[in-house]
Amino acid sequence: MRSLLMGGQACVLYGAAEFSRDTDIVTVADAENLRRLQAAVEELRADRIAVPPFERHFLDAGHAVHFRCQLPGAEGIRLDVMSKIRGLPDFTVLWDRRTTLETTGETIDVLSLPDLVVAKKTQRDKDWPMITRLVEAHYAQHFDTTDENVIRFWLRELRSPAILIDVALSSPKVCQSLFHERPLLQHAAAGSEELLRVALREEENAEREADRHYWAPLKSELEQLRREHRRPRE
Amino acid sequence: MIDMRLLVGEEWAEWYSMTPAQRLEESSKLWQTYLELGGTLDPEPDPQSPFYDPEEWRAFTAHGRAGVRLVRRGGI
Repeated sequence: MRSLLMGGQACVLYGAAEFSRDTDIVTVADAENLRRLQAAVEELRADRIAVPPFERHFLDAGHAVHFRCQLPGAEGIRLDVMSKIRGLPDFTVLWDRRTTLETTGETIDVLSLPDLVVAKKTQRDKDWPMITRLVEAHYAQHFDTTDENVIRFWLRELRSPAILIDVALSSPKVCQSLFHERPLLQHAAAGSEELLRVALREEENAEREADRHYWAPLKSELEQLRREHRRPRE
Repeated sequence: MIDMRLLVGEEWAEWYSMTPAQRLEESSKLWQTYLELGGTLDPEPDPQSPFYDPEEWRAFTAHGRAGVRLVRRGGI
């Protein structure tokens, strides 16, 4: 089955820390892969919980399908499956950009760090400190790089003012080339930490609002499904 | 170059310096301890999540499962 780990467990692998009680994956919602996912779900003795039903069109629309595992050893673990995430391209692109990690003889395919950062730009408070940690951790691990792609990633996604200013001052040309994409970099290039903090907060608020707007029709659909699901019992 | 220990503190700097495998192992140990102490895998209510269903959460806690339980109150 082709799927990528995302969510809290992926954050731990990349250097943030989240006490996540579920396993979140993104997968391709084609017939063959969903058949494999169904087989995996049966192997885990996982029951679907909550709405929506495990049907392709719900995944295509951007919903998550939720399962709870009953297999001894994995008992109680919740599995959330998505195939479409706000701000990210199709799964085939995500798959090509994936990170593969090896741990104790097993390989884990994980959403790439830049994609995970985009996926975490949600309306939830708890996701924003996570983005800060994810990019900080990457900076701490690669601070001496000269790779312009890495520096661009930091300039696009860093949320720690002091580090953002440091990167902006040490790579002024790259920073300037991104002013149009992320205007707050002008404050970083000027070393204005106070203005940068304000601009980072505004940037976060705009993303939260965009996420609420994206989810509004999906939430309405979920509420409708819940009403239909409960009706026979009322 | 910024001194990460000064910026984020000793613990975070150490966490950042680990390999993914080391972090996975440390995280697994924490989970083991959490479960041995009676922690639950049931989700916490997250009203900011688009998936949050207040009705489901009310039904969940009404059956005596999960939820936030006061185990010990601090002195303040």
